[in-house]
Amino acid sequence: MTSTLEQSATPDLSGAFPTVAWRTRDWAERTPDRVAMRDKDFGIWRERTCAQLWDEVLTAAHALLALGVEPGDVTSIHSEDRPEWVIFDFATVAINGISTGLYPTNPIAETQYLLNDAGSVVHLAEDQEQVDKIIEPGRDAYPTIRKIVYCEPRGVRTIDDDRLMYWDDFMELGEEHRRDNGGAVERLMLDAEPDQVMTLIYTSGTTGPPKGAMLTHRNIEFAVEMVLNSPDRFKGDQGEGIRDEKLTYLPLCHIAERLFSSVSMAYNGPILNFAESIETVQENLREVQPTIFFAVPRIWERIHAGILIKLRDATWIKRMFSGLGLKLAAYIGRKRVENGGDFTLGARLAYMVGNPLVFRALKERVGLRHCRYASSGAAAIAPEVLEFFMGLGIPVYELYGMTENTACATTNFDGRVKVGTVGEPYPEIGLRIDEETGEIQTKHDAVFPGYWNKPEATRDTFTEDGWLRTGDVGVWVDGTHVKIVDRIKHIIITSGGKNISPSELENSLKTSPYIKEAMAIGDGRKYVTALIAIEYDVVGDWALRRQIPYTTYRDLAEKPEVIELIQGVVNQTNEKFAHVEQIKKFRMIPKELDHEDGELTATQKLKRSAMEKMFGDLVESMYS
Amino acid sequence: MRGRPNLYTNYSSEMGLFPSTTKKVSMVLLAVIAILAPLHALPYFGFLGDGAWMVLINKALVYAIAALGLNLLTGVAGQVSLGHAFFMAVGAYTAVVLGGEAGNTVWGLGLPMWIWLPAAGIVAALVGVLIAPTAVRVRGLYLAFVTLGLVFIGLYLWRNLGKIAGGPTTGRPWPELEFSLWRNMDPIISFTSDGPLWWWLKPVNLLPWVHIEEMDGEVKTYFFVLVLMAILALLGKNIMRTRIGRSWAAIRDRDIAAEVMGVPEAKGKTQAFGISSFYAGIAGAVLASVVGRIIPESWDIFLSVEFVAIILIGGAGTVVGTLMGTFFVVLTPRIVENVTGFLATQATEGGPFAWLGKLFVRSGPDDWIGIVSYPDAAGPGLSVAQLNIVLFGVLIIVFLIAEPLGLYGIWLRVRNYWKGWPFTY
Repeated sequence: MTSTLEQSATPDLSGAFPTVAWRTRDWAERTPDRVAMRDKDFGIWRERTCAQLWDEVLTAAHALLALGVEPGDVTSIHSEDRPEWVIFDFATVAINGISTGLYPTNPIAETQYLLNDAGSVVHLAEDQEQVDKIIEPGRDAYPTIRKIVYCEPRGVRTIDDDRLMYWDDFMELGEEHRRDNGGAVERLMLDAEPDQVMTLIYTSGTTGPPKGAMLTHRNIEFAVEMVLNSPDRFKGDQGEGIRDEKLTYLPLCHIAERLFSSVSMAYNGPILNFAESIETVQENLREVQPTIFFAVPRIWERIHAGILIKLRDATWIKRMFSGLGLKLAAYIGRKRVENGGDFTLGARLAYMVGNPLVFRALKERVGLRHCRYASSGAAAIAPEVLEFFMGLGIPVYELYGMTENTACATTNFDGRVKVGTVGEPYPEIGLRIDEETGEIQTKHDAVFPGYWNKPEATRDTFTEDGWLRTGDVGVWVDGTHVKIVDRIKHIIITSGGKNISPSELENSLKTSPYIKEAMAIGDGRKYVTALIAIEYDVVGDWALRRQIPYTTYRDLAEKPEVIELIQGVVNQTNEKFAHVEQIKKFRMIPKELDHEDGELTATQKLKRSAMEKMFGDLVESMYS
Repeated sequence: MRGRPNLYTNYSSEMGLFPSTTKKVSMVLLAVIAILAPLHALPYFGFLGDGAWMVLINKALVYAIAALGLNLLTGVAGQVSLGHAFFMAVGAYTAVVLGGEAGNTVWGLGLPMWIWLPAAGIVAALVGVLIAPTAVRVRGLYLAFVTLGLVFIGLYLWRNLGKIAGGPTTGRPWPELEFSLWRNMDPIISFTSDGPLWWWLKPVNLLPWVHIEEMDGEVKTYFFVLVLMAILALLGKNIMRTRIGRSWAAIRDRDIAAEVMGVPEAKGKTQAFGISSFYAGIAGAVLASVVGRIIPESWDIFLSVEFVAIILIGGAGTVVGTLMGTFFVVLTPRIVENVTGFLATQATEGGPFAWLGKLFVRSGPDDWIGIVSYPDAAGPGLSVAQLNIVLFGVLIIVFLIAEPLGLYGIWLRVRNYWKGWPFTY
């Protein structure tokens, strides 16, 4: 009798390693009634307190135990951002399992590759769409999966498959296990080791099949210390805390969103607000008005273009005011860029005029009124966009990192911003630029131990003296800041022997609101050319204003007027570059690029080899 | 949520009566003005406490009650009705039969107000419920004709039921707005008599500069009707934002679709007629009591049209719009008269607007230019009252074509202009 009592008692966890699960439990104990997250359901932002969240994580962890998941087993999540994502993830961490996330856009073939590569035993699929990706190829296609837990029952209930389990049933199973085996999860949490793998994050695979980067608890902890909590990242030492609001909308299987959302919540306690979907981000932003906001350049560009278009469509009085506001913003932005991101006296005065007239309302409309810290990463952002937001009083700090070093490499610190660079290395981390190749290499506690089941790829990723090869070419600016030139593999060497960075050309093109995607070509060729994809909405709007009729994307893209418009943008870009780097010819891409068709990765990056194959005749036509 | 007005964490905050701080503050301000202005306690607004203005405002408040009712029926539930005057008459005659004094030629039970006022509403509501089944059968224009028929049936009845309505040309006196426990007992509170405050209210210093010792009858009536109107407006707002109102809106937008979605059409329309008629009954009783004596011919089609005008000009489907429309329709004749008088004076005595006066007003039989003759019948042309009728006709046309949401729509535009700043959409 006493032995069973002892067994079911919850052990003292104060000495255990503080994983994200441990920290969630800790919040629940310290501030049980504080709101931890909100998600929008039928028009209402439903709140979850810290205590409720931990309760659900604990139950889900028990459910995983009941399903026979053991420490070191892999679970997988294939879903848009939603509370269940985080609960399932943390539950896996609590029982010392390994979680991995998939992009909701991953097509069947990729899903199959990823899940089998990871060897997932329990899979969380959001809805019918994701469930179908598992059921359709048949049972043999996924030999390791034992259970598929789904969140949205619509269309799934009719599928007859004993692997399927509804989320509520999953939680009920957990309740039952929890009643009979109280303390089982907590005892496992005692065993957590810092060097244990917490999650697999698959690289997007622009070149080959995706590789699963193993990230340990220590990696995460160090990355939090540097990326989230390093001093002087925020103005006036006000670090991230429980009073902050965040919007979770980028895929959580990406390291950046994971670090900035769920991990940040577990460590620092800001409230996570789950956006309904990627389409409603703008609306959700307006509702939530986050205080800390991370976005990829694509989103910043979209907000920027959206503001300019809507201002142009306004009535003339509003246009007059916003015109003045934009002039002031341009001035403030320029001054702040020159001054390391800080206001000068003139900029401060201009801000005092512009803020009540235009900026404050404008920021409220786009949902950044309360934003005190914003950042951009995961790809290069155009300096013009950064300058624009700086002028409005939304400081956007560009930062740099990659999955393999848990997003921990460099950032722009408040007051020492250099636009066009990715900033300075975090204090006390190892970061060097190889003198021969120009490659950036890092060495610190957040550098991953290796790829999952790929010792060879792991070996290739490290230098002989144990530094992580990022694959990015960089240069020092003023000895302190790092500027990224391009991926090593992307550098174009023309037949004239000139080294050209295609990203610089492409990013310059993409500052135009009319261009969504661009790919510079020229490796081994006489001159540089480009494939260009238009931004359908914006160019469509432009065409409407000029009364140019069009039917489809392709029709619009190939209109002579549109080609002329794009030629204008190309000419502007060419002015910024040396003669040999200039784009001599370009062609319009006749379709919208898509992940499913294999032209983009899940993170919307171009797959260059696939593009060259797909549009080979277009490319050849520019050189014949 | 503080600082995040669009972040609703539960439905009750989203449905809140006054969801934003701005609305709360403006509501309190409005209440303060409504209470203090008639007591001569506010600078610039003091004139509102004068007898002539008070009478007009009281009329507007009573009209507002009736208009709120029609707004629920036509604006929210989408049932066009020209029979509002009929339901008001039902309420008024219920009141007079229950509360009036019996005479040789008329019936009257002499019951106190706490019986006749609610009864006026309830009887009208019952009649409304009887009419409702026709609304399930006919729609739109046809329903308008059916309800129009009610008015004529009503007029015939009131003319011939002398025991209830009194003489066709004299009418009969209505019971006063006073609160007593039972018939023939001294009123505890009278809402009509001039003189000292009500018995439990001692003379007070409401504000350091406002000393209240006694109140005019009109001001007392004002407070009574104001409170009654506020309660009924709040009730209307609550009906609109909860289940019943939502089912009405569904029926209004497409009755068949509503039925398919499981919103019972017959039940919804019956509720709408019942509740709308309740408002009309109360308004009719209070109106007759405030006026004191009403002849049967008053409950005619023009009264109905006036309420249709109110909700069209104010903005169908909204409480605030209805109130704006009421005050606009009731106060405009007064303003038109004042302006005409002013222009006439300018024309005869000279002044900066003399030219306008000469163009607009005919001051005598030999004056051939102008639209209105002032004073009345001084020359050929419209009288001021006729001008008002023409003006309303024009206004209804203009609003229906240019601003279907009425005055409220204009306010919405102004608000959205700033709400969208610096964007337009």
